Amino acid sequence: MDEAVKTARMSAELEVPATLGALGDIAALVLRLAGGAGLGKGASYRIRLAVDELATNIVMHGYRGGDGRITVRGRSGPGRVQISIEDRAPAFDPVQGRLPPEPHTAPERRRIGGLGIHLALTSVDEFDYVRRDGRNISTLTVMAEGTDPCPPRP
Amino acid sequence: MPLSVSLSIEGDTTVIELEGELDAKTAPDFHQTIEKAAGHGTSTVEIRMAGVGYMASAGLRSLVFAQQKVGEHVTIKVVGAIEPVSRTIRTAGLDRSIVLTDD
Repeated sequence: MDEAVKTARMSAELEVPATLGALGDIAALVLRLAGGAGLGKGASYRIRLAVDELATNIVMHGYRGGDGRITVRGRSGPGRVQISIEDRAPAFDPVQGRLPPEPHTAPERRRIGGLGIHLALTSVDEFDYVRRDGRNISTLTVMAEGTDPCPPRP
Repeated sequence: MPLSVSLSIEGDTTVIELEGELDAKTAPDFHQTIEKAAGHGTSTVEIRMAGVGYMASAGLRSLVFAQQKVGEHVTIKVVGAIEPVSRTIRTAGLDRSIVLTDD
């Protein structure tokens, strides 16, 4: 019998400047929490991808390349990681701003961009957004046994 | 983790080999190589991705950009992508125009 995966309840918080250079620090935090929760490779990849896409969106579109901060808070327990991402950019609800892919449009005519939010939302098991006190707060949850590894094609 | 990108020609195929992580920070390096590959005029552009451990939507934009640069008559193949990377490509529906193969 395999040795039981050692899991630990962990919490962590990170505040970084809203730059592409900070994405690596955010990813490291998310992967550490995923490891603590005993998530497998696939689930760890999904939570990293989702947080990365939302953070990238905040850098590129939320603050529009200007100065800003992003706060990432996370906690993990056995088989589950929850991450919240907070920014002070203009209000943006990812669910409303989601742009689904255009699979029936030829690639050379396709718009470039807009897929990141779709990828993020299809990678997590739970998603919540609130606008509170001038802040956007997105909360993402991934479970060890969660989303189908390949969601239905668009 | 940085991205290393190499470019070579094998017969009528332009080969781009990627290794590392493909995200919003590293995708511009890939774009520069795509521009060069488009100038070679081969009938196939093969993108070897076995060494890519992580790809964000910036990588999808790169693949769409690649198809736009080389034109619809040139076949783009993505070879050896790990499962989460090919899942990302399928989620975007890009496997309808780009050939995904294991080797």
